[in-house]
Order: sequence, then C-alpha cells, then structure tokens
Amino acid sequence: MPELQKLYDAVLNGDQKTAVAITQEALAAGVDPMELITNYMVPAMDKVGSLFECEEYFVPELLLSARAMKGSLELLRPLLAAAGAQPAGRVVIGTVKGDLHDIGKNLVASMLEGGGFEVMDLGADVPPEKFIEAVRARNANIVCLSALLTVTMPAMRTTIDALKTAGVREQVKVMVGGAPVTPQFADEIGADGYSDNASAAVGLARKLVKQG
Amino acid sequence: MTLSRKRLQDSLAHRQPDRIPIDFGGSAVTGIHVSCVAALRDYYGLEKRPVRVHEPYQMLGLVEDDLRAAMGLDVTGVFPRNTMFGFPNSEWKEWDFRGLNVLVSKDFLVREEPGGDILIYPEGDPTAPPSGRMPLGSAFFDTIIRQQPLQEDRLDPEDNCEEFKPIGDADLEHLKTSVAAARGSGYGILATFGGTAFGDIALVPAPFLKNPKGIRDVAEWYMSTASRPEYIHRIFERQCEVGLQNLARVHAAIGDSVDAVFLCGTDFGTQSSQFCSVRTLKSLWFPYYKAVNDWVHANTSWKCFKHSCGSVEKFFETFIEAGFDIMNPVQCSAAGMEPEKLKARYGDRIVFWGGGVDTQKTLPFGTPEQVRVEVLRRCEIFAPGGGFVFDAIHNIQAGTPVDNIVAMLDAVHEFNGAQVNA
Ligand code: B12
Repeated sequence: MPELQKLYDAVLNGDQKTAVAITQEALAAGVDPMELITNYMVPAMDKVGSLFECEEYFVPELLLSARAMKGSLELLRPLLAAAGAQPAGRVVIGTVKGDLHDIGKNLVASMLEGGGFEVMDLGADVPPEKFIEAVRARNANIVCLSALLTVTMPAMRTTIDALKTAGVREQVKVMVGGAPVTPQFADEIGADGYSDNASAAVGLARKLVKQG
Repeated sequence: MTLSRKRLQDSLAHRQPDRIPIDFGGSAVTGIHVSCVAALRDYYGLEKRPVRVHEPYQMLGLVEDDLRAAMGLDVTGVFPRNTMFGFPNSEWKEWDFRGLNVLVSKDFLVREEPGGDILIYPEGDPTAPPSGRMPLGSAFFDTIIRQQPLQEDRLDPEDNCEEFKPIGDADLEHLKTSVAAARGSGYGILATFGGTAFGDIALVPAPFLKNPKGIRDVAEWYMSTASRPEYIHRIFERQCEVGLQNLARVHAAIGDSVDAVFLCGTDFGTQSSQFCSVRTLKSLWFPYYKAVNDWVHANTSWKCFKHSCGSVEKFFETFIEAGFDIMNPVQCSAAGMEPEKLKARYGDRIVFWGGGVDTQKTLPFGTPEQVRVEVLRRCEIFAPGGGFVFDAIHNIQAGTPVDNIVAMLDAVHEFNGAQVNA
C-alpha cells in the first residue's frame, strides 16, 4: 500500500512522475479512485490555488501542479466513468474568437478539473458555434469564457447571445474572466458570474451549480 | 541638435525638457496598427497612399515623417532587418488586408484557408510549415506553436539557441543605413537590434524559424523556468554571450548616434500579479540583464529600454539595479501601478516611456473628452523633472476610434502649451 499523502505532495510540488506512479500503485492496491481525488488531489489543488492567491506560487508552479494532477486523473477517469461517478459539473471552456491569450484560461480549466469538474477545453480563438456544439455534445451546465483583449471582449457578448439563440442558454451558467473583464461588464452582457482568478473560479462554479 | 532630439535626451537624462517628448511608432511595443495609421493619415489629410506594414506579426503600420510631423511626434524608430516572420522588408507589394489596401514585403506570403483564416510562412517560404495564423475577424497574426515531442533525457539547450547567432553583414548594413536616415530626420531615435530579451514569450515559439527545436510551447516554457532552471540558464548564457558580441559590432557600426535601445520585451506582469517571484527574477534573469546593461553603459551613451506589461511595480527596484534606464509601457491599470506612486517612488531613477493613457478602457471605449482629461492628468503626474516620454500603453490597437487618438495627441500638445511644429 503506497503512502497516499505522497500523492498530495506530488500534486502540490508539480511532480507528475511521482503523482502517476503513486496513483498506479494505489489502484493496484485496490484504493477507491474517488478517495484519491477527494482526499488527496482536490485538497492539493485547493492548496495550490491559495498559494497562487498569496503570491507564493506563480504561473509556472500552477501549470506544473495542474500537469501532475492531470497525469493522475487520466488514469482515474476511465474507472470513474465505469463506476458511474458524477463530476461536480460539466464545464465547456475557451478563449473567445479572435483572442489567443490562453494562459489564464488554461489555469482556470486546470483548477476546475482539480476541483472535480469535468472540463472540455476548446482552446483559444473559439467561435460561438463551437461553444454551442460542445454544450450540446457534453450536456454541459457551465460555460467559461476568457478574453484578454478589449477588442475581443465584445465576442463574449456575441457568444452569450448565440447561446440564447441556439436555445441552450437556460441549461448553462456562464462564467467570464480575463484581464480587462470587470464585474460590471459581466453583468452588462448577462453572464452569471465573474472572477479575477483561477482559484476563486472554482468556488464560483460550485456556487453556480448549486443554484442550479 | 534639433529640438525633438534634445527634448528626448533631456527627458531621458531626467532634466526638464521644453515639452514632453512623444513617441508613436518608434518600436514594436509603441506602435500603431496599420488600420489606425491609415485612419490618421486620412484624418490629417496627408497624401493618399497605402501604408507599409513594417511589423507583420502585429500588423503595425510604418509612421512616416509626414505623419510624424502632423501628429507632432519626437521619436523615430530603427528596426532590425528581419521581421518577426524571419524575412526582410523589401520590395514592397500591395496586399488587400480585408478591404484595406496596404503594402507588405515581397516575402510576405500568405494562404487563405477555407474558413477565412490567413496563414503566413517563416522566411517567406511557403514550403515550410506556417508559423503564423490570422483568424478570420482578427487584426493581426498569432504564432502557431510548433512544438516537437520533448524527451527529457534528450533535451539540449543548443536547440533553443538556433536564433542567437552573430549578426550578419546585411543586417549591419541595414542598421547603418537606417540609423543614418533616422539621424537625418532630426528626431530622437529609439533603436531595436534584437537578441537580448531573454525568454520573451512572443519569441519563444520562434515564428521566424522554419523548424524550431527545443522548448517552443508557451506553457512548457513557463513550466521550465521553474522545473528546468539549469536548462534556461544555459540558453541565457549563450544568448548573453552572442548578444554582447553583437552589441559591440553594432556599436562599432553606428556609434552613439541612437538615444535609446529597446533591449528587452519579456513580460513579467499579469493584470493582478507577476509571472514569477522577485527571487526568481533575481536568480534567473538579473545576471544577464545586468551584463547587457553594464556593457551598454560602459561602452555607449545609449539608454536601456525595458518593456514589461502588467503589474510589475514589485520588480522596479530589481530592474533599476539591473541597469535599465527606461520602463515601458507602464500599465497603470494593472495592480499596484498607480501613476502617482510610481512617479514618487521611482521617478528620479527610471524614465516612464508610456502610461500616457489607459488602453484597456479610456482610449478604446471612452469619449474624446474622457481621453483628454485622463491624458492631462497623466502628464501632470509624470512630466515634472523629465523622465517621461509620452506614449499610450502598448500599441494602439485596431478599432481604436481615430477621434480618441487625436484627442490624446491634442491633449499632450495642450499640456505642452504649444502648437504642433511651432
Ligand atoms: C502573456 C501575454 C501575451 C502573450 C500570450 C501568450 C499566450 N499563449 O497566452 C503574447 C506575447 C503572445 C501576447 C500577445 C498579444 N497581446 Co498580450 N499580454 C500578455 C500579458 C503580459 C499577460 C497575460 C497572461 O497570460 N496573464 C497570466 C494569466 C494567468 O492571467 P489572466 O489571463 O488574467 O487570467 C487570470 C484571471 O484573469 C482569471 N481568468 C482568466 N480567464 C478567465 C475565465 C473565466 C471564466 C474566469 C472565471 C476567470 C478567468 O483567472 C486567471 C488565473 O488567475 C498581458 C498583460 C496583462 N495585464 O494581463 C498582455 C495583454 C493582455 N496583451 C495585450 C496585447 C495588446 C497583445 C497583442 C494584441 C499585442 C499586439 N499585437 O499589439 C497580442 C495579441 C495576441 C492575440 N491574438 O490575442 C494587452 C491588451 C490591451 C488591450 N487593449 O486589451 C495586454 C493587457 C498588455 C498591455 N499592457 O496592454 N500577449
């Protein structure tokens, strides 16, 4: 039986190799995948998020931890699906049309994954049709839009409007963020939530899912 | 010496200039999108002719002397021979940029995809994999990440050094001619030679190379700064060595005839924080910045220009200690970048080249009067005692209303209490 605390440490320290190795050992020893996620990986990513917020961790450390977590998650996902486990929510995320800035969006996606959400990342420069398609295909209940440029902020509005026209707006909560986005702007375009950092985005998503 | 050049030199030396010097178009971080250059030319009623796209990656338009005079600017730029896509600007040809007729280099070879995206090729070679993409509806190119699979045990820093090579004769010749022309214009001169940025995330994917090797993916690069510091050090050491040799060759060719040199565009700031700790800045970057700036100060009269977007107030002391003389773009809208505070704390030790107007709200979305009020206030804060070159925050983006750009310029001239060219 491996020392499971080491999984927590590996995610916290961004050590993908160890995270994957411990996960494999744990699965071989019959540990419940859900236990690995809930008791070790989610708390580790929570800690990563708070270290990021208090500027002890920065973008590189966050990316490393996210990668470690993903390595482990890849092994667990098929098992979870087979066992019929439900994710905290199903998220479709992307940087809007015309914008290539994806570092912040990637961090939000990873933190949500670390927080137990199922995340479909559509990448950068994503047109509204792609969001609609993904919401339908994944039966998503959260859409996350990121924009870093003033010239692409209007594409957030266009995307929300397109969700409405396609008749899927009611089934999802829309979260927005990125450097120039403000809570006022989020209100104006009819988004359901805004956060200025990846760590708080997880709390926000949990809250929005509860509201249903 | 001409008034413009003296004005710039005074301000860079922290002496009160007769007026605030103004730069638009002097570098690829203080530039203007080609569509806005065209709009400004129309606004000022200048000769009708297609604008040259001198920087194809960001689609920046060349600000020529007639427009510089109309706008009342004081700085002109000297640019390296090759563009971001690795080809020189030569033998201009016309190109229909989504309805705007512009001039591009003969090596600006593009292919439109069925969906309307436009692809561009490194070194103007359409047989190489494309290195840039302009999505439909976008106004500039994004780099295409061409990361080959990484094998940890085969990683070789040399692979990331392909772009750091001795400056060629054609490049030197180009710089000489450009500097001579710039001198002749009488404006203050901001020069870009390239090669000393150290990890600028826009350059890591190497859109100028046909077949980049090593670490070329953005996220992989950022992670490497934390997980493979030794690898990064090897690259920076090599880059520094070559960079210093090149600076010496350039200096031998052009002497002290430029005023400032845009040495480094590596972004360290995000909207609310930084990309690394001060500790990491000191261990991973500082030695190389210091070596370059020390060389410049020991051997030339050039001033060292550093660009970093975002919230970097916490890095100012280190940047100053490393020998940078000038900070750009002074993104006052980012956390902790309040103009009054920056001027009070650092104003006598570093020149603010930028910060003139907010470009996340006021310039693109405000009214001309809001632009005017903000510009006047920024001038009041930054101008006293010199150490200020007026510029917006980063390039003027496509879609910025021309009335707002003009309102911004008029406000600086109003503050300066003078007519353009008086
Ligand atoms: C790194 C960077 C780049 C890199 C991008 C690399 C990449 N693959 O992403 C490069 C060099 C390529 C680049 C290019 C350009 N950039 Co840029 N870039 C930046 C910079 C310095 C940092 C952005 C960043 O990555 N931050 C780190 C992440 C972690 O932070 P973040 O994105 O804000 O995300 C956090 C929160 O906002 C939030 N969040 C983000 N998304 C979401 C989504 C949801 C749903 C939620 C809840 C939260 C959330 O959580 C994240 C994590 O905590 C900013 C400066 C700044 N002030 O932000 C300029 C900046 C965004 N860029 C700018 C510009 C102008 C450009 C260019 C247009 C340059 C040009 N041509 O003139 C190009 C455009 C490219 C394009 N097509 O989009 C301007 C935009 C100004 C404006 N008017 O809007 C900025 C603000 C710089 C400035 N001083 O003006 N850029």
